[in-house]
Amino acid sequence: MMLSIENLNAYYGQAHVLKDVSINVNKGEVVVMLGPNGHGKSTLLKSLCGMVDYRRGKIVYKDQDIIKFSSEKIVNLGITYIAENRELFPYMSVMENLKLGAYSRNARKYEKQNLEKVFSLFPRLAERKKQYASTMSGGEAKMLAIARGLMSNADFLAIDEPALGLQPNLRVEVTKIIKEINKQGKTILVVEQNIPQITDLADKLYVLEEGRITFSGSKDDALSNEDLKEIFLGM
Amino acid sequence: MNTKSMVTILAVTYGFLGILPLFLGGSSIYMRILTMILIWSVVASCWDLIMGYAGIFSFGQVAFYVIGAYSSAIFSVSLNVTPIVSIFMAGTITAIIGVIIGLPCLKLAGPYIALVTFAFQLALEPFLKGPLGKAIGSGGSRGIISVPPIHLFGMDFSSSELVPYFYLTLVLTLICSAVIVVILKSHWGTAFLALKDSEDFAASLGVSAFKYKLLVFAITSFITGLFGALYVHYVGILSTRMLSMEVFTVLLIMIVVGGIGQYPGVVLGAVVTVTMNELLRPMGIYRLLIMGGMVVVIVLLLPDGVTGLIRKFSFSRWTNKESRSIETHESNL
Amino acid sequence: MFIEILDVIISGLLNGSVYALMAIGLALVYGVTKAFNFAYGSFYTMGGYFAWVLLVSLGIKGGYYTVFLAAIPFLFVVGFFLEKALISPLRKRSDWQMKAMMLTLGLSLFLDIGYISVFGPRLKSLPDIVEGTLTIGPFVFMNQDMVIFILSITGLLCFAWLLNNTRVGMAVQAVAQNPVGAQIVGIPKDRVFAATFAISTIMVGIGGILLSQKNFVNPQASTGIMIKAWVITAFGGMGSIKGSLYAALIIGMLEAFVGYYLGMIHIEIAVLTLLLITLAFRPQGLMGRE
Repeated sequence: MMLSIENLNAYYGQAHVLKDVSINVNKGEVVVMLGPNGHGKSTLLKSLCGMVDYRRGKIVYKDQDIIKFSSEKIVNLGITYIAENRELFPYMSVMENLKLGAYSRNARKYEKQNLEKVFSLFPRLAERKKQYASTMSGGEAKMLAIARGLMSNADFLAIDEPALGLQPNLRVEVTKIIKEINKQGKTILVVEQNIPQITDLADKLYVLEEGRITFSGSKDDALSNEDLKEIFLGM
Repeated sequence: MNTKSMVTILAVTYGFLGILPLFLGGSSIYMRILTMILIWSVVASCWDLIMGYAGIFSFGQVAFYVIGAYSSAIFSVSLNVTPIVSIFMAGTITAIIGVIIGLPCLKLAGPYIALVTFAFQLALEPFLKGPLGKAIGSGGSRGIISVPPIHLFGMDFSSSELVPYFYLTLVLTLICSAVIVVILKSHWGTAFLALKDSEDFAASLGVSAFKYKLLVFAITSFITGLFGALYVHYVGILSTRMLSMEVFTVLLIMIVVGGIGQYPGVVLGAVVTVTMNELLRPMGIYRLLIMGGMVVVIVLLLPDGVTGLIRKFSFSRWTNKESRSIETHESNL
Repeated sequence: MFIEILDVIISGLLNGSVYALMAIGLALVYGVTKAFNFAYGSFYTMGGYFAWVLLVSLGIKGGYYTVFLAAIPFLFVVGFFLEKALISPLRKRSDWQMKAMMLTLGLSLFLDIGYISVFGPRLKSLPDIVEGTLTIGPFVFMNQDMVIFILSITGLLCFAWLLNNTRVGMAVQAVAQNPVGAQIVGIPKDRVFAATFAISTIMVGIGGILLSQKNFVNPQASTGIMIKAWVITAFGGMGSIKGSLYAALIIGMLEAFVGYYLGMIHIEIAVLTLLLITLAFRPQGLMGRE
């Protein structure tokens, strides 16, 4: 098992956001977490990446408990968070954004290699190396955010709502890219509200409601579950 | 804090200060300290209202205090206005200047306001010392030396009549404190809390941040100027030394000790700070060293001042802050 | 008449270049950490005393070379640990900016009074970095002025180079532009905060060493310098480095002309007026974003 989260609790101030969340992710899998907005999906990913101050429980990644690790240490271990609202560096070029993606110690050695990989995956970014991130369209910025995440040479990608706010054709493209990244050997945990194409990639599904895991199982299990079918899968 | 505990704390504190002269037998040292506690408690309360509630990072409080003092002194010395009238004129002048500073300032982001108001204080000294100040009667770097005392009901209220002056100050202090409590508990206070949480949200409720901020700026400037004026007629002399960093820091300590946005904590802060400042006086220059160090230590260790400390150890539910913070956090998820 | 104006311009350029060094340090630290450092001027004075202790009190060898070589690591360490010890713990609170302002105000009083209690209230004079004058036709330049000018410009160029061409510099810019994004790519934010604070301490401290040769080491100069640096940063656009550079030169000139033609006492009033007018029309400053 690559990642196992056991009884994770997270807090924002007085608000108890995650309540005893436990999930498992195996190497090479795509795990999709569904759930309504504001029920703690993003918090789960941020807790995993050391970006939530108050958390309790166990996060075991490659046999070590990383709950107390700082975010830079976690990035260095090979976990990368790709934010829903992208979090790019607005007044820097595409190239500078990508290079900063390879900031952590382990990523530096592979900077060149990863740049090539990223540009072959996103040819459009290669054409716009010098453009400022702030001047890019929503879709392009999303691609850049994913590309920057790949630059960290992570084995494990925690992707937050990759298709949110994108037009249908771009959704298809993002889905394809996630599939391709997974094929190249990355393990992926995606958080989504209800994007059928992405759900379709899942090896395993979880549902997070009001800070608790309310369903876990395979895609087939989910499809045979009437409630889920209606609410999330839109099928 | 609810109105009841706010008024209770104020009543107990000021009541206690009010009966102290009966026991101290009008000893001049103690009377001076008590009077200064009253004056500073009001000036610091105004600052708390601006900074802790209205969320305006104004660092111009000392400047307004000095403007009040100078205005009243100039009115009474150069224009022979009787002091009981001139102190209110001084308050009005200060309020007007407050609005003039506030108009360009209050639309700026927090740190800019701090900067402009602080720069305003720094520019005030050369202004008062220079030819422009002399032209309006500031007396240049010599200052103003014979400011007449307040004359009311056939009595002089001055540094030679400490007890009457103390009670006059107490009456004005109570009135101004009542004004502050009313502001905090009226729909203004609610508006400030809304503004503090989210300016966009407040705007959607139709709360005009600018209008409220300007109004509160004007009112607190008026009160601050009034107390500056009250002070100058008491001491009788005036110079730009009042604009020193020392005065500023002492005022800052009151609010730090009392806790920002924890009214009436700042009143307790004034009591503690003025007393301590007097106790440390024999230490000479080290007094300021200690004062500066204290700001650092208290901000680090007691971020909500003594009020925060008291709250930590008392189990009474003074505020509903906790429940409020949960709501705001949940909407951010 | 012409030579007179030239003198004023030179003095404006000279002050402006050192102001630029100091204000850009402040713009940097504000842009990155969003902390409002009110003790900034006290580090200027600290630079002055540092040079005085080495040169006059201890009479070290190597003169100003040694001073600069020693001052850079010294100021870095001071800035770094002050940020770690005093500013960083505040950051967890929502109203930390206000707390940081208050804390640094207290710190500035503590430092300034500390200088007086250690070194006494009297002004200290620093030896000139170089002696002599240079005469070109009718113009006479003081070598000292030229060296100060060249050193502060060199300092600025070094700073710009570091910021745009090194990993640390890019990390600093990344945190300024998007702290969350910086955390995502694994930039140690807290260390960048402390490092930036330290770099700004170096810049203002060096400014203190340069200008104190002309204006003496004065424990009461701190507040004025701090406000000047802040006014320049606000005038130029909070956090904008380019804006601070222009603003510093403009304010340096304004001061020189107002000081010469209207008298020193009007300088602060003129600077404040310029700031108020600018902010009334452009609340974000000359070159601020948004």
